Amino acid sequence: MKFAAEFAESSLRVGGMHCAACAGLIEQALLRVPGVKRARVSAAAQCATVHWDPRLTRPSVLVKAIEQAGYDAVPDTAAAARAMRKREARLALWRVFVAAFCAMQIMMLATPSYVSAPGELAPDLKQLLDWGGWLLSLPVLWFSAAPFFSGAWRALRQRQIGMDVPVALGVAVAFIGSSGATFDPGGLFGDEVYFDSLAMFVSFLLGGRFLEMRARHQAEVALEDASQRLPNTVWRLAPDGQAEAVSPARLRVGDRVRIPVGQAFAADGVLLEGTTQADESMLTGESHPIAKRCGDSVSAGSLNLQSPVLMRVDGAGADTRYEAILALMRSARTQRPALLASADQWAAPFLWTVLLLAAAAGAVWSVIDPARAVWVVVSVLIVTCPCALSLAAPSALLAATGAMGRRGVLLRRLDAIQGLARMQLLFVDKTGTLTEGRMRCVAVQRVAGDDHATEALQGLAASLAACSNHPLSVALRDSFAASDIVWEGLRELPGQGLEGIDQAGRRWRLGSAAWVSEAQTAESVPGVQTCLACEGILLLRFVFDERLRSDAAGAVRALQADGVRVHLLSGDAPERAAQIAAQLGLAPTGFSGGMTPANKLAALRSAQQRGEFVAMLGDGINDAPVLAQADVSLAMGEGALVARTQADGVLVSNRLGDVVRARALAKKALSIVRQNLLWAAAYNASCVPLALMGWLPPWAAGLGMASSSLFVVLNSLRLAR
Amino acid sequence: MDILYLLIPLSTLLVLAILGVFAWALNGGQFEEIEREGERILTEAPDIGSNLDFDQAQIATPEEESRPEQFRL
Amino acid sequence: MAQSITPQQGGVYEDGTVRLFTLAAVLWGVVGMAVGVLIAAQLTWPELNFGIPWLSYGRLRPLHTNAVIFAFGGCALMGSSFYVVQRTSQVRLFMPKLAAFVFWGWQLVILAAAISLPMGYTQGKEYAELEWPIDVLITLVWVAYAVVFFGTIGIRKVRHIYVANWFYGAFILTVALLHIVNSAAIPVSAFKSYSAYAGVQDAMVQWWYGHNAVGFFLTAGFLGMMYYFIPKQAERPIYSYRLSIVHFWALIFTYMWAGPHHLHYTALPDWAQSIGMIFSLVLLAPSWGGMINGVMTLSGAWHKLRDDPILKFLIVALSFYGMATFEGPMMSIKTVNALSHYTDWTVGHVHAGALGWVGLMTIGTLYYMVPRMYGQTRMYSVKAIELHFWISTLGIVLYIAAMWMAGVMQGLMWRAVNTDGTLVYSFVESVKATFPFYVIRLAGGLLYLSGMGVMVWNVVKTAQAGQYQPLRIPTAQNVVIAGAHA
Repeated sequence: MKFAAEFAESSLRVGGMHCAACAGLIEQALLRVPGVKRARVSAAAQCATVHWDPRLTRPSVLVKAIEQAGYDAVPDTAAAARAMRKREARLALWRVFVAAFCAMQIMMLATPSYVSAPGELAPDLKQLLDWGGWLLSLPVLWFSAAPFFSGAWRALRQRQIGMDVPVALGVAVAFIGSSGATFDPGGLFGDEVYFDSLAMFVSFLLGGRFLEMRARHQAEVALEDASQRLPNTVWRLAPDGQAEAVSPARLRVGDRVRIPVGQAFAADGVLLEGTTQADESMLTGESHPIAKRCGDSVSAGSLNLQSPVLMRVDGAGADTRYEAILALMRSARTQRPALLASADQWAAPFLWTVLLLAAAAGAVWSVIDPARAVWVVVSVLIVTCPCALSLAAPSALLAATGAMGRRGVLLRRLDAIQGLARMQLLFVDKTGTLTEGRMRCVAVQRVAGDDHATEALQGLAASLAACSNHPLSVALRDSFAASDIVWEGLRELPGQGLEGIDQAGRRWRLGSAAWVSEAQTAESVPGVQTCLACEGILLLRFVFDERLRSDAAGAVRALQADGVRVHLLSGDAPERAAQIAAQLGLAPTGFSGGMTPANKLAALRSAQQRGEFVAMLGDGINDAPVLAQADVSLAMGEGALVARTQADGVLVSNRLGDVVRARALAKKALSIVRQNLLWAAAYNASCVPLALMGWLPPWAAGLGMASSSLFVVLNSLRLAR
Repeated sequence: MDILYLLIPLSTLLVLAILGVFAWALNGGQFEEIEREGERILTEAPDIGSNLDFDQAQIATPEEESRPEQFRL
Repeated sequence: MAQSITPQQGGVYEDGTVRLFTLAAVLWGVVGMAVGVLIAAQLTWPELNFGIPWLSYGRLRPLHTNAVIFAFGGCALMGSSFYVVQRTSQVRLFMPKLAAFVFWGWQLVILAAAISLPMGYTQGKEYAELEWPIDVLITLVWVAYAVVFFGTIGIRKVRHIYVANWFYGAFILTVALLHIVNSAAIPVSAFKSYSAYAGVQDAMVQWWYGHNAVGFFLTAGFLGMMYYFIPKQAERPIYSYRLSIVHFWALIFTYMWAGPHHLHYTALPDWAQSIGMIFSLVLLAPSWGGMINGVMTLSGAWHKLRDDPILKFLIVALSFYGMATFEGPMMSIKTVNALSHYTDWTVGHVHAGALGWVGLMTIGTLYYMVPRMYGQTRMYSVKAIELHFWISTLGIVLYIAAMWMAGVMQGLMWRAVNTDGTLVYSFVESVKATFPFYVIRLAGGLLYLSGMGVMVWNVVKTAQAGQYQPLRIPTAQNVVIAGAHA
């Protein structure tokens, strides 16, 4: 049943449906809205399709109706994209099929001309065969070559030149010339027809575009699948233990949610009950399932593999790593990196040159041998292949990005690929980067102040640390329950610590020993520490253990072997920094301790002024200015606030070894782009002169161009493995 | 080879007809979700009518249900 | 999350015509092959012509070819296509009465052939010998066949048209076109007509028809059979369903112009012969793609071949298909053809395809279908199937080996020239030299025929042991969730 054109159709994803009968309820609710003509709800797919009259209602009204019925609805944004992909795929397949099928038949009709001895084929029979070829070229031109013509027209209207222009011109000239030879043999256009070359050339080009489209669609589907990983409905436990079905959008911090087997965790949080295994491959690139016990953290978007569990929500919606990763994936896909911009610069002059050469060849040949002029022009136009520039570089970069993503490095900007390959000096932060993100408090030392109970002080410290994202603050929060204290003037000073004024007007500081006690020196204690002081009097010292990441030393060695100087930048005491540097095998000059953020920035700048290409690997939040200054920056992926990072890429796997692998991939990508450029240069340099001399018949030109583009694309796709 | 005056127009018409058939198939969704279709002949009811015993039919997987049955020629 | 199926009242498949076709296929197989054995014997011992016109080789040969291709092969194709199209469309056969007309009309065609050909009525065109009244009847029956088949597809309940149906459909439409064009004739009396074409023009049309008859009747149609019955018997899906669709379209692409390879070194213009050669070679690719797709269906389950003789038939049929579709393009190369043309090598090639591919595929399919026509899942005796398989395979090997050797020998003998340019051998000398190979070929054919005898016994026993049960058409391909709207 079709509806008249004035009805609009919307697809909505419905959440909170816990049984098939809900579908009927929702349909009723929608049908009660004035202006709704038809509503279909699928319990299995959890989506609703509504036909409505734009004059009488709006989508927001539909959503409200569903909400009033007790469910949730969001637009099924993926539906439009899915439909568009389907249309695109069908159209592409149609075009390729028409071109290839007609090419085959035209080739059969053209073969007699190739295999017959001169004079063997009667002229009227030849004309019959040519007519057949002409007729079968019409579908090719009309359906298959259409995108080239429309692309060329678009480019010309904007007074630009794109790859479609020579292709469209070549096809047009070949067809017109061959038509002339068909209807008026021996006339202006000579005797030869090249319908077979035309059709073959078009089918090869479309074949290449078809493959490219499929790869692009697969990437889009992967992104969509990732976006739709979260279930529409989750079971939240009310305080009385009753379970209610809600959509993940309604979850709040502190909610307890049941996650059945096979479903994705709907939010970031902590396991309360149950033991299971989680598949975090989408988030970290880690393909092995991770064991999760009570107290372990779980991430939104990862899959619950083994048994049903109960979790507590710590971060939902936009604050999850999952959303951050999605945002990164989307952002990378819409990039136009500098590498391509420079390639684009070459494309235009190249194409202009080709057009001029073709015109010149036509002029010259029309004097020497007019019958061949048309074919030489066609060959010149068809044989040129700017594919390495416009085709292969983007696909190489995207393939590399995909491969890196699968290995735990998500890039925000494709420029980072060049950066990774070119880096000479890598500054590395210590805390949270080289060391494990989560620290534990292993000792609490009473320094002074007997009038406060240790527990109270601990609780106070945790309360101060409540709003800070510094790794030490997080560790404090993890270790002690925060007391319920109302702070005034609470502020965090980067590199130093936290300060707040309690209800009694006392100033408390939590941070480095020197700062909190305003003393000249502080005893140095091995290990990482932070101190609590009141009104300048040091009261408590918290000692944390800090473990180096297991692959840190290996990664540093690999980078150094690869020609990258690694330099440790740490805010901790120089002795501590020296210890870590020794463990990593860094040179004695390869570390700096006691660095404030300003120090770090200065160190970076001076390296850049020395002409070095500098990379920075750090904790996304606390090193933000330094990351921004670096030529290429990577942030660790731990912590929910990776969403706010402005780094060029995120190490979602938190494995330092992945930096090494990413660099290798980046170098490979650039080398492939270079190979492609070299190939394109060699190919054009040899084939264009051949075509100009009239030694390249159109069918060979078409074959050459098609093989060249195929070669270049396949070379790029090597990276995707 | 005058017979080609018959055979070539004939095969040209045939090509156009085949293109038409392909277009019809493409628009009718014949080339979508290909992988599942290959297995369909194995998951349908058994090919022995043993007194209309339907329980032997394998249960369709849940994803299959959400595809609507209606289609147009 | 168990769901309960609520089957609704549906119809049953119409298998009456299918059963008739399967039995007819067995019958005509025996008859056609028996005639084949007779004429093979006549070539060996010409006395067996007995001086009786209706038993003469010249008249019986077309009876043999028509019987095995159109009676045996035709009934198998019609029966299996009706079987497959119903089950893949999940709908009852369209116009079952018309289907019955297809059956009886086709039997009438066969009978008319069996009478008219020994009586000497012939149009003299290979695989198109039948005179014009029978051609008209064929056209009527074929139109009815197309109506039933495509009508069933038209009322199907499953949106996707399974790939086997594409092959069957292409076979039906192409054969219709070929038949109408090639059989165009001007009747002068009730049993005599003259072809609408003459001389080398007629030859071109004839072999355009002839090769495409092989290509679509004997290849596309049986590929349709293969794509359904191999997965069903092996209980595994086709290796790559996507490839099977590509295979179909690739075959359609290339088949039309291979015909001239039958006319190498004849009055056909050289360039036309060259086209035939080139595109016959191109055909190798799609053919082998289909073969690999079918054979690899057993990938991971090769052990099934050990115990299941029906699978043996089906898979070995595919190997012969591969062999024949390699040999064919080789033979269409002009230099090779210069040796093979008019020799028994051509006969060997034909029979590798006919006995190996068409024969074994049909037999395997019949062994699948016959029990189901009588309410069972297995033939009466599986051992007998095994025996049949080994006898047939041995028969085929003997047949084609004999013909290869005879063919190459003939070709070499005919082209042997003395230094002064005269022929070394006279023709009759080559005939004498061929004699032992004809004996071996006859033995091979006899083996193959006796295999069919085993089949007849098995079929009769199976028919006696059971009774057809109507098969309910599934109506709920989608599981019904109570309360939800689909």
